[in-house]
Amino acid sequence: MNPILLNNQVLIYLFSEAILFTLAIIAFIVAVQIVMRWDFGAFTQRQFALERRAYLVMTIILFVVVMKIFLLPYFVFTVDNLSVLVPGAMCAAGVISANGYGLELLFLKLLIAFMLILWLALNRYDLAAKDYPIFRPKTWLYLGIFVLLVLELWWDVAYFTHIDTHLPVSCCSALFGQLEGANPLPFGLSRPMLLVLFYLLYVLVLLATLAGQPWLVLPMLGMFVGVAYYAVVYFFGTYVYALPTHKCPFCMFQPEYYYVGYLIWGSLFSGTFLGATAAIQRLWLKKQDISWERWSLGLLSFFVLLSSGYVAVYYCVHGTLLEAV
Amino acid sequence: MITVENLNRSFPSGDGEFHALKNVSLHVENGECVVLKGVSGSGKTTLLSIIAGLDRPSSGKVLVEGEAIAKLPDWHLSQFRARRIGMIFQHYNLMEHLTVEENVMVPLIPTGMDAETIDRQVDSALKQANIIHKRNTSAARISGGEKQRTSIARALAADPGIILCDEPTANLDRANSLRFIEILDQLHEMGKTIVIATHDPLFDDLPFAARVVGMEDGQIADGDLVERVESRK
Repeated sequence: MNPILLNNQVLIYLFSEAILFTLAIIAFIVAVQIVMRWDFGAFTQRQFALERRAYLVMTIILFVVVMKIFLLPYFVFTVDNLSVLVPGAMCAAGVISANGYGLELLFLKLLIAFMLILWLALNRYDLAAKDYPIFRPKTWLYLGIFVLLVLELWWDVAYFTHIDTHLPVSCCSALFGQLEGANPLPFGLSRPMLLVLFYLLYVLVLLATLAGQPWLVLPMLGMFVGVAYYAVVYFFGTYVYALPTHKCPFCMFQPEYYYVGYLIWGSLFSGTFLGATAAIQRLWLKKQDISWERWSLGLLSFFVLLSSGYVAVYYCVHGTLLEAV
Repeated sequence: MITVENLNRSFPSGDGEFHALKNVSLHVENGECVVLKGVSGSGKTTLLSIIAGLDRPSSGKVLVEGEAIAKLPDWHLSQFRARRIGMIFQHYNLMEHLTVEENVMVPLIPTGMDAETIDRQVDSALKQANIIHKRNTSAARISGGEKQRTSIARALAADPGIILCDEPTANLDRANSLRFIEILDQLHEMGKTIVIATHDPLFDDLPFAARVVGMEDGQIADGDLVERVESRK
């Protein structure tokens, strides 16, 4: 038996996913029936029965959404824990790249997390009104999310069952390290340009959100999260590890770095998802969700401050930067 | 204003269904007082519960002050009920471990009113129901008539436009029942819309009641049926 499947965290994770998937199937079946026959203006027995079932379905989906969002960091924690079983892996980086499923699975999970947060926002808007104005689009969104959940479950099982504990994997220094002369940054960006872009895009996201320009917020956020990834891996992360050659997005999830990876990546992605969702609400529903915008800006600001804080602290303590920017 | 159109309410019963309400239609104008007369099991309480938003129909339309309340999502229905409808129950439904004042205050808390407004509304309701002298007494230690007046005060606390009474005098003696009717008269004078579900003969000839509507076997009784309902007493 593959020792991966006997690992406690993997068992807990897969069992939790299975329970949530079962609930998601129930919600899917009822949601299909509801969306095909929904007619809010009718006062028939069928419509009243659908409205009662809709309340049940939304409650189930809400539970699944919240638990899935909590399971995402737990997935990272699980994968990180497997590094002791996979030869050559020093952190989740090696385990994720242990087979062809890992990286795609991670991206799929991030996509699902964003879609779930979007569903949460739409559900909030729908229930705030008296007549479920976006019930159909919201339900169709869930049906689309369900397809992704099916893919995710299959991918989860494929990923964990195909981790070979006899085959060495590359560690993060090989995966993210720079070959001599090579520039790992996209579009040939230099590190100073990357940092300028990082802070510029952060300010632009801030200003676009405060100015209520969702058509600007969305592309800015998209660019910011991409630039932020490279900035964290190739600059800020080196200050978390206090080592200029240590470039890895995953090592910072480990206890020797005080699990700061959860805060850094958590604040970046949650801030981005909340901001994007608020922008979509503005564009589509013509509604400003002030609290979500504030949370988004707060989380992104926390991310920028936390990342920059490591550099500032290092400089204050040592009087110099790790290497020339 | 209350409008009920083709209302049906069924409950699962054994292998089939029990039809508590069958195509009931009713209209109550603003400020009107209507008495629903009928024996136990005629559907009065079910109808009143649906109008109050405590239950939802199987089919049909219920408009209360223009709102199709059976369609409202849960949060909106709770807010509507808290602000627009006062209900007086047969068995009072007081919280015995709370005082009279606290029982009257409880329904105002979820409305989001500030503390000063709540205190003012509670004082006014206690005075109207003539129970202010017992405000600090535990609900477990007051008499049946006082409990009924406490539930009247609770129903009035949010100053709702509609008062619904479900067998309000079923547990009262004649003297207290007459006192209750006096309070209802005062509420009618204030312009409240009142619907009373009862089988108490004291309500047959209320001077301020616009109509007595008979109910039998889940349906509104026509003229002949009203006579049959009356003749059964």
